Amino acid sequence: MARALIAGARTVFFSLFLLLCLTCNNNLVPVAEAIWLTIPGSGTRCVSEEIQTNVVVLTDYYVIDENNPEHIPTISARVTSPFGNNLHHNENVSHGQFAFTTSETGNYQACFWLDSSHQHGGASLTLGLDWKIGIAAQDWESVAKKEKIEGVQLVLRRLEGVVEAIHGNLIHLKNREAEMREVSERTNARVAWFSIMSLGVCIVVSVLQLWHLQRFFQKKKLI
Amino acid sequence: MEMRRAKVWALMGLLLFSWVCDVACLSLTVNSVECVYEYVLYEGDTVSGNFVVVDHDIFWGSDHPGIDFVVTSPAGNVVQTLKGTSGDKFDFKAPGIGMYKFCFHNPSSAVETVSFYIHVGHIPNEHDLAKDEHLDPINVKIAELREALESVTAEQKYLKARDTRHRHTNESTRKRVIGYTVGEYILLGLASTLQVIYIRRLFSKSVAYNRV
Repeated sequence: MARALIAGARTVFFSLFLLLCLTCNNNLVPVAEAIWLTIPGSGTRCVSEEIQTNVVVLTDYYVIDENNPEHIPTISARVTSPFGNNLHHNENVSHGQFAFTTSETGNYQACFWLDSSHQHGGASLTLGLDWKIGIAAQDWESVAKKEKIEGVQLVLRRLEGVVEAIHGNLIHLKNREAEMREVSERTNARVAWFSIMSLGVCIVVSVLQLWHLQRFFQKKKLI
Repeated sequence: MEMRRAKVWALMGLLLFSWVCDVACLSLTVNSVECVYEYVLYEGDTVSGNFVVVDHDIFWGSDHPGIDFVVTSPAGNVVQTLKGTSGDKFDFKAPGIGMYKFCFHNPSSAVETVSFYIHVGHIPNEHDLAKDEHLDPINVKIAELREALESVTAEQKYLKARDTRHRHTNESTRKRVIGYTVGEYILLGLASTLQVIYIRRLFSKSVAYNRV
């Protein structure tokens, strides 16, 4: 599995190199797959996503610093599951990666912060984040090797995977909508019931008041 | 023949690689300004995406100003602006190669959570076909098909983000209904008890002799 990942990574980097040679000529090394975020000088930057169960999550993160490429600042990272379990924790690194398969549906959060040694002057950092889940995280190299397909066939196989992912997403959306509809209808029924009940509570309370005061005045021989 | 096969492989690798130019549906908390950067490899690429403000915790009214969304090209020009919205889709043709900046501005003091999705799509055109004789017209069709599927995926992510926001509203409504109703009953009971106690005090012996 790791070997396939390394082989896949090597092909990706080779293709990236080809692409770079063909198109760009700047001194950075842009990775087209990732987004860049800024980490503030103090405090953490967190990104999160709501993910279902049994989804593969594959993430790469790296610090980008054009000013001094020899002395790259280091960051710490932590990934937490919806129930608070620590899935990945790394300190004092300038790049890292993590991969896991989700075991529960919920909000998965990845937080990054600057190390205390680099927190001077409140200067912010740029972090490149390559966050892939589900079909985007699939290793197509190993699929190509296993099924012995290549070229256009492999591309079409990928498209087929995307279509299956779309279908799965639609079903998931439909289920969520059904749950939400139930909550809505229950709330609707509750609003009606509670309003009528508040009218009833009002009447009951006023009757109790009157009865109590009548007894009180009769006791005081005022009535 | 070997060279040709190697070239086809490399080209396929390129095609496969230029596939994944998007980011998953991430959520970001926006304090006042938050920016996300994405690199565009080819001029004329279609950059599309959407964003939804998910954690919209307004208490009284819906007169929240919304958030502003600004896209800046690497040359410094503003490519797209969306003001005062709580979620929208966007797409534009990239005028140049480079790092594009996607910024969310939050005018209110409350922290908002924004869920966004950005996709950079490239379809090889006739210019690329003419440049490289190994690039078949079928690659163009496959690229178009891929982009169409990506747009469906983008719509789904938008729907999912809006659904999440709707969920938050529903949950908040449910909690408010229960909380405020129970509070209302307790206050009603308390007010009537206080009324009774007050009236009893008015007619109590020590006060009555002095007043009534």
